[in-house]
Amino acid sequence: MALNALLQDRADWPADAYVAALVELATPVLLVDRDGFVEFANRQVCAMLGCSAAPLLRLDDLLASCGVDGRPALPSAATPEKMAQLRLSDGRAVNAEARYLPNGGAALSLNDVSAFVREAERARVDPLTGLANRVGLHGALADMLAAGLPVAVFCIDLDRFKSVNDTLGHPIGDALLRRVAERLVTIAGPGDVVARVGGDEFTMLRPGDASPTAISETAERIVDLVGRTYVLEGHMLNVGASVGVTLAPTDGSDGDTLLKNGDLALYRAKAEGRGRFRFFEADMDAQMQARRAIELDLRRALALKEFELVYQPQVDLSTQAVVGFEALLRWRNARRGLISPAEFIPIAEDTGLIVSIGEWVLRTACREAASWSHPAEVAVNLSPIQFRDHKLVQTVISALAHSGLEPGRLELEITESALMDETDTVVATLKTLRGLGVRISMDDFGTGYSSLSYLQKFPFDKIKIDQSFVRGMGDNAEAGAIVRAVARLGTSLGMKTTAEGVETQEQLDAIRAEGCSHVQGYLTGRPMSGADAAALLASRGAKIGKEA
Amino acid sequence: MSEDLYRLVYYSRTRMGEEVERFADGVRSVLATSQRNNAPAGVTGALLFNAGCFGQVLEGSRRAVEATFERIQRDPRHSDVSLLGFDAIDARAFPNWAMGFVGTRAADAERYGGIAVASGYDPSRMSADHLFETLHRLALEEEHSAVA
Repeated sequence: MALNALLQDRADWPADAYVAALVELATPVLLVDRDGFVEFANRQVCAMLGCSAAPLLRLDDLLASCGVDGRPALPSAATPEKMAQLRLSDGRAVNAEARYLPNGGAALSLNDVSAFVREAERARVDPLTGLANRVGLHGALADMLAAGLPVAVFCIDLDRFKSVNDTLGHPIGDALLRRVAERLVTIAGPGDVVARVGGDEFTMLRPGDASPTAISETAERIVDLVGRTYVLEGHMLNVGASVGVTLAPTDGSDGDTLLKNGDLALYRAKAEGRGRFRFFEADMDAQMQARRAIELDLRRALALKEFELVYQPQVDLSTQAVVGFEALLRWRNARRGLISPAEFIPIAEDTGLIVSIGEWVLRTACREAASWSHPAEVAVNLSPIQFRDHKLVQTVISALAHSGLEPGRLELEITESALMDETDTVVATLKTLRGLGVRISMDDFGTGYSSLSYLQKFPFDKIKIDQSFVRGMGDNAEAGAIVRAVARLGTSLGMKTTAEGVETQEQLDAIRAEGCSHVQGYLTGRPMSGADAAALLASRGAKIGKEA
Repeated sequence: MSEDLYRLVYYSRTRMGEEVERFADGVRSVLATSQRNNAPAGVTGALLFNAGCFGQVLEGSRRAVEATFERIQRDPRHSDVSLLGFDAIDARAFPNWAMGFVGTRAADAERYGGIAVASGYDPSRMSADHLFETLHRLALEEEHSAVA
């Protein structure tokens, strides 16, 4: 039976029977007259609002007296349905649905939607830190932009967080993230929004007018404050922060563009050495595109055989003889010409391409060296990234086996940065490699953290002193003192010491006087082709100095 | 004494400017804050300042010391905070000394300022042990002269 028919059937019901039904209805219901006065409130409304049905109050006054936040707009003949969300004094969220009545008044039914609202809020909150999450961030940014506010967006990335997580475990890592979040919140002002948008990535939004100086100061404060030492669960922890800053409306007017630009600026801050902030600049996008283009070419370079190796002589200072060569990578692209390793190696490392490129270098250098008439050493550089590849040891074994090169003639050069993360794993790998008979040297010593503990952790065969010290020897006494100290350190630890970047006879005399055992530089031999290296060795007149 | 005792030693440069009066006010305010916050948490220690540097020792339960240091790290008046040491200890060296300030009177400030200049005191060049010992010695001297 249709409802209308049912109602007509019951037309003989007395009016107070309907009223009694309304009073007992499980849904909270209010009736309001055409002037906005409450005519009727059922039991459920009184229970929900926590007040008695006061006679003939205006609806707004009733809600105000119950401590309700929000006022529903009443419907009219033109818009017969209106919906509003109210916040009750106990925090519950209630949807008020108002329907127009023929007498010009309205019927309101209230519906507790707290559970849904909480769910929606939870979807916008990072459970670990209580900050907004990515969804919350996008929403907040969209709201600020929609309100026409200028916004400063700070994209924040932690430096060295991964090593904390890896060495001390996730519970400490999580506790650290909470501390970082707390510090960021102390920087945030009223109206600012702080979000955690990834493992160790945060974003802060600052709406409103602010001078470039004030924004710089805030970015600097983030770098400073987040970078300060943490003491946590008995540990002293150090992480840094890199920050990219972008501004609306100057740099973009929609959220996606702003966050992308902030990431570009962040990327630049990291590329420039981390622990600093950078503002977005329009050409960053173009530079990133250029970098992507290099990356695309780099991905094809192996297949197109665009890499080549050149070999720089290494000379034993006691005998003046060339005892080995360092294999150096060159990339020659048809369109770009010769590309500097300083330009493409970081890209190869970021993309992981260094693993396959490094394998090619290793195999090629071993094959080349195996063909030499004289058993000189060949030194090959390993990137820290290659140590994360579990196949490294296997690759070295395979390169030696295929080339037939005697393991003792292969020298692997690593930098301190390879030892900074996951030191124990890397040291274990180095020991395995040493077990094969391969030699291991510490490259660019003096440029990184130069922690002597690294020398203690693994007995390197050789320390290579960075060329900056050799070049500096003429001008400042400190560089000379450092060369001398490292040479002595090498002697007492039973490690050879190679001075890199020797260009003049004076420098050669100086490093000889300071006690270095080996030398490598333009003076004693520029990088040369494999054929020239083979010829140099074959001549056996491979002595340096005036006769070279 | 409670188990789980830790000692933390740090120094920091301050952003309070060079004027002695303002600097002294700043130190007093840091000290007041430290005492107010730390006494209930059972953190004791010593504070030494000199020409824009603080050297400070904090002793207490690990959590309390960590919380105190975190508060210091968030204080914009401290810049360039260097943590020199954070270790478990058997007993406090500054037990009843809820954050004593070496030189509460102007005369003391001058006295210790004089010592500082004469001995070339510079917390930034001190090891944790050295800074700790210096503070401990000064504290004992202070106690001694109070008794005398």
